[in-house]
Amino acid sequence: MYVKVNIDKCSGCRECEFVCSTYHFNVSNPNRSGIRIEKKGLIDDIPHVCTHGKDCNFECIDACKFDAMKKKDGIVYVDHDKCTGCRACEKACPINAVWIFEKKAYKCDLCQGEPRCVKVCSQGALEVVK
Amino acid sequence: MTCWSGRLLYVDLSKGEIKKEEIKEDLYKRYLGGDGFGSYYMNKFVSGDTDPLSGDNALILAPGLLVGTPIPTAGKSEFFAKSPLTDGWDEGACGGSIGLALKQAGYDVLIIKGKNEKPCYLFIDDDNVEIRDAQHLWGKTTRETEEEIKKEEKNCSVACIGIGGENLVRYAIISSDDRQAGRGGLGAVMGSKKLKAIAVRGSKDVNLKDPSKVLEQTFEWYEKMVNSQAFKEDGLYGSGEFLEWMNKERGTFPTRNWREGVFDQRQKIDPYYWAPRYSIKNKACIQCVKPCGKMFVIKEGKYKGAKLDGIEYETLFALGGNCGNPDIESVAKANELCDLYGIDTISAGGCIGFAMDLYENGILTKDDTDDIDLRFGNPEAVVVMIEKIAKREGLGNILAEGVKRAAEKIGKGAEKYAVHVRGMEPPAYDVRGIKGMGLAFLTSPRGACHLRSGAYALELLGKFWKYEGVDRLSSKNKGREIADMENFMAIYDALGVCKFSRGFFLLEGFREILKATAGLDYDEGKLLEIGERICNLKHLFNLKCGWKKEHIKLPPKIRIPIPEGASKGSYISEEEEKEMLDDYFKARGWTKEGEIPREKLEALGIEEFAK
Repeated sequence: MYVKVNIDKCSGCRECEFVCSTYHFNVSNPNRSGIRIEKKGLIDDIPHVCTHGKDCNFECIDACKFDAMKKKDGIVYVDHDKCTGCRACEKACPINAVWIFEKKAYKCDLCQGEPRCVKVCSQGALEVVK
Repeated sequence: MTCWSGRLLYVDLSKGEIKKEEIKEDLYKRYLGGDGFGSYYMNKFVSGDTDPLSGDNALILAPGLLVGTPIPTAGKSEFFAKSPLTDGWDEGACGGSIGLALKQAGYDVLIIKGKNEKPCYLFIDDDNVEIRDAQHLWGKTTRETEEEIKKEEKNCSVACIGIGGENLVRYAIISSDDRQAGRGGLGAVMGSKKLKAIAVRGSKDVNLKDPSKVLEQTFEWYEKMVNSQAFKEDGLYGSGEFLEWMNKERGTFPTRNWREGVFDQRQKIDPYYWAPRYSIKNKACIQCVKPCGKMFVIKEGKYKGAKLDGIEYETLFALGGNCGNPDIESVAKANELCDLYGIDTISAGGCIGFAMDLYENGILTKDDTDDIDLRFGNPEAVVVMIEKIAKREGLGNILAEGVKRAAEKIGKGAEKYAVHVRGMEPPAYDVRGIKGMGLAFLTSPRGACHLRSGAYALELLGKFWKYEGVDRLSSKNKGREIADMENFMAIYDALGVCKFSRGFFLLEGFREILKATAGLDYDEGKLLEIGERICNLKHLFNLKCGWKKEHIKLPPKIRIPIPEGASKGSYISEEEEKEMLDDYFKARGWTKEGEIPREKLEALGIEEFAK
């Protein structure tokens, strides 16, 4: 399962970022979101989100020296207790779907099978693929 | 405290002084944020006799209380200053990310006073605040400026001006993420301070009282919004969706500088025509799940390469109908230039329509227009005039002053054709057939404005909120209605909620949202009291600036009956205007002259700001 991005449809509202961070960390802060919208020039709004192996060979897991990047039931997630914010995963990810904020890595963990970002994407830019 | 940062940032560009101050909790409870803080701090920091383009004027930025929360459509932040266009209160809301960044940097209010000698920009990186050189940015467009600064500083938000603001065009805008704080010349205030941009990088959390409840509410409101008719219409056609209806069913689409209320060539500028042909995707303000913005791209022809986030309803009027311009590509190009140079499309279109009217009536000739054939419906002239206004060239230099000052300068009876209230060119509602909006144009603290009351939908449809059976062609009982709507809409601006969501949340909705986000339990009465406090403070600021009852008058064109269409024969007479104003002052508890009595100030707890 992963969240599929339809780049052409994203309107750049970033509602997904607010909802994601609030769901996972009980605070609203796009820096802590597991999905990020990159604004590129006037036209493009590009969502970045992990596809849990569809577009990669789990480079982030291999790159992590602290056993903080883990995989369970096909879902790649970060163990914040172990993460040191060394940026190895961020550098290794081929699709720019992991980032560091205040010495911790942030990425999508699929919200226990019900991605909240997709729930608030009114433009159809995000969809769940099972 | 949740939802708030608890601090304000004060910058004096003349002295190079940077101060951070705590905001007392009581102030949040009484003003919420956004225009609540704007109205409070403008009265505190700007005296009435201030020259708007001097260092004594303040530029204030305040995000709405709900900015940065997941609550949908609550991403608006407002700029405030004394207006160089109206010489009174000014505010402009913007859906860019600048206010979110400010809040995340740890400030709920930014106040900038003084002026720099050389072009500069303010850079705020959480606790670090610097005034930086911006000579390399001066002369650049809004988009270039934003891009350039983002190259210097990753992951920041930018609010900036174009050459319109640099050249002190009295209706220059401030742009953030290509969305604009549009009216009254806030960009000229920045330009006068030699402040090219404000760039902010914020990292802090926005705390919520009850995060799971906030998410529950977010999903609930999201569902209501995306299942609404408005979502479908705005999603496909943007805010101009009702253009045909406004023309055909109401006859109140101001056309050719307010000669007519129906634009005969409207089909060519109707989004039902252009959206399927030119719009490549939707564009949203921050936090908005029902975007009205369209990414308009011209792929071939004379204006090939033009791209803009629009075209909004008001702009379709201003650069389209008001100039008799039926060429959508010209409207789009002119809109793009307004965005790049940083000038307000409504006032720009108001000024060009005014000049076209003068030209057709022989008051202006080709000698005055640098040989431009300034007749109504000349699409090229509209585009060229935007250039001239932003660059202050030839006739553009006069029009850059707004229609009121331009008419004084041109003379020869030009004031008969100048459509404005207190110097502000009005938006796209021919108030001759929407009389309550005529009153709203008069009472809005920033001059002719549709957003302070947001009463156009109520008037045009006859019902909204607690009002029913409202007659748009009558001048009776408008005072309470407009005062109520202004109080109500002030809450939207304090919370940072888009007025296109006014039919959704209403006050009951806000009560639950405020409990979960900020931990405040405010019923309808309490919220409206805050709205009333804010509206009174804005008016108080205007009174200090020399506002007098005799200064607020609908323009001469409003005394001429609408010649045809669904509102044929309708106009607002002087008697009706007086009747509505008297009724409004009474509803507000003000004197017959529109002054606020001491008791009223005390009842609202704002007597400290008495004149």
